[in-house]
Amino acid sequence: MKKILKLTLILFLVSAIVAGVLGVVNEMTKDRIEEQKQIKTAKAYAAVLPSEGYEELEIDTSAYTNIESISKATGGEGYVVQTTFSGAQGNITMVVGVSPDYKCTGISIISHAETSGLGANAASTSDIGVNWRAQFVGQDKNMAITKAGGTIDALTGATITSRSVAEAAANAISVVESLG
Amino acid sequence: MNIKKQFKEGLITNNPVLVQLIGMCATMAITTTLFNGVGMGLSVLIILTCCNVVVSAIRKIIPNEIRLAIFVVIIAGFVTIVDLLLQAYIPALSEALGVFIPLIVVNCIIIGRAEAFCQKNTIGASFFDGIFQGLGYTVVLIIMCVFRELVGSGKFGTGLIDVANGFKITMDGTGGGIELFSADYGATIMLLPFGGFITLGLLIALMQYMLKKSAKKKEAAAKAVKEGEE
Repeated sequence: MKKILKLTLILFLVSAIVAGVLGVVNEMTKDRIEEQKQIKTAKAYAAVLPSEGYEELEIDTSAYTNIESISKATGGEGYVVQTTFSGAQGNITMVVGVSPDYKCTGISIISHAETSGLGANAASTSDIGVNWRAQFVGQDKNMAITKAGGTIDALTGATITSRSVAEAAANAISVVESLG
Repeated sequence: MNIKKQFKEGLITNNPVLVQLIGMCATMAITTTLFNGVGMGLSVLIILTCCNVVVSAIRKIIPNEIRLAIFVVIIAGFVTIVDLLLQAYIPALSEALGVFIPLIVVNCIIIGRAEAFCQKNTIGASFFDGIFQGLGYTVVLIIMCVFRELVGSGKFGTGLIDVANGFKITMDGTGGGIELFSADYGATIMLLPFGGFITLGLLIALMQYMLKKSAKKKEAAAKAVKEGEE
């Protein structure tokens, strides 16, 4: 009995020390990580729909699946939808630009956990990623990958990622369209 | 335990990937570009060295029954620290490696070295063991990355070398790399898990061949000396 208490206490102490150190590191890096995320989101907005500013619509997004926020470009260029959905490995957060005539003006993936070298290409800055995402420009709410009868070529070895991205982009456009 | 012997063990005779055959999951998964390989290798090197030192420092006070649990807690702590630092300061790398950074927790290199080496050796020896084993891991990753990236996409150093802006080494993942031939002629299969298995298999075979050869040479030399004495 005494021994088990001793073991528990030691393990508790070690865990507590590690947790304390992690707390300090988290406190130190928190602001910077948040900053990096904001820079990324701002870049993504500008990439999918260039505009002077964006104004978030005050609507209840929980009424729509996977939609996080919808922002209106202040210059009337269209809308930017931020959506989080499930990819092949984990959640993907993506922004979709929608023009006033409900066509996709571009997509940009902010965060994901897809397989490095395969699904991760969907978000990569390499030629593969850029060319792949370029296919989404001009698509409407009926877009789909070729396997599902659409015109978007899936990424090599990443059909599930490609499919979920296309479905999410289509969903984003139809939500904007339903708002009018 | 001298440093020279440890250096040779980490890089060649007891290389973590090619001889001990540990930590192969991440090795096959991330070795698609040089950027990933260097980043992952250095992350493991740093985590391994820190863990080795801490484990070795507390080796006499931790009870034997719960040593594995304590090792895992310590490793997880260091991995999370590196993960947070990467997210804050090298976001491109953190993105490229994705889930494989947190997965270093279960990478057997680190717990394997803690169990096999650090709990029996001094802090100094453990420190060098971390550095050299980490280097051995990094070197293998780099060889695999260079080979797979070249055959698979015809490039060298994507994300790491910025040719467009005058041969700079960047850590933000924007470098285009040196294009040796068009990606259209690349064997994409080398970038898929299949390519990882094949490359690793070839490397292990080559390593075993060389180790056997050098062992035979030593044997022959010993024999010659013996005969000479007679």
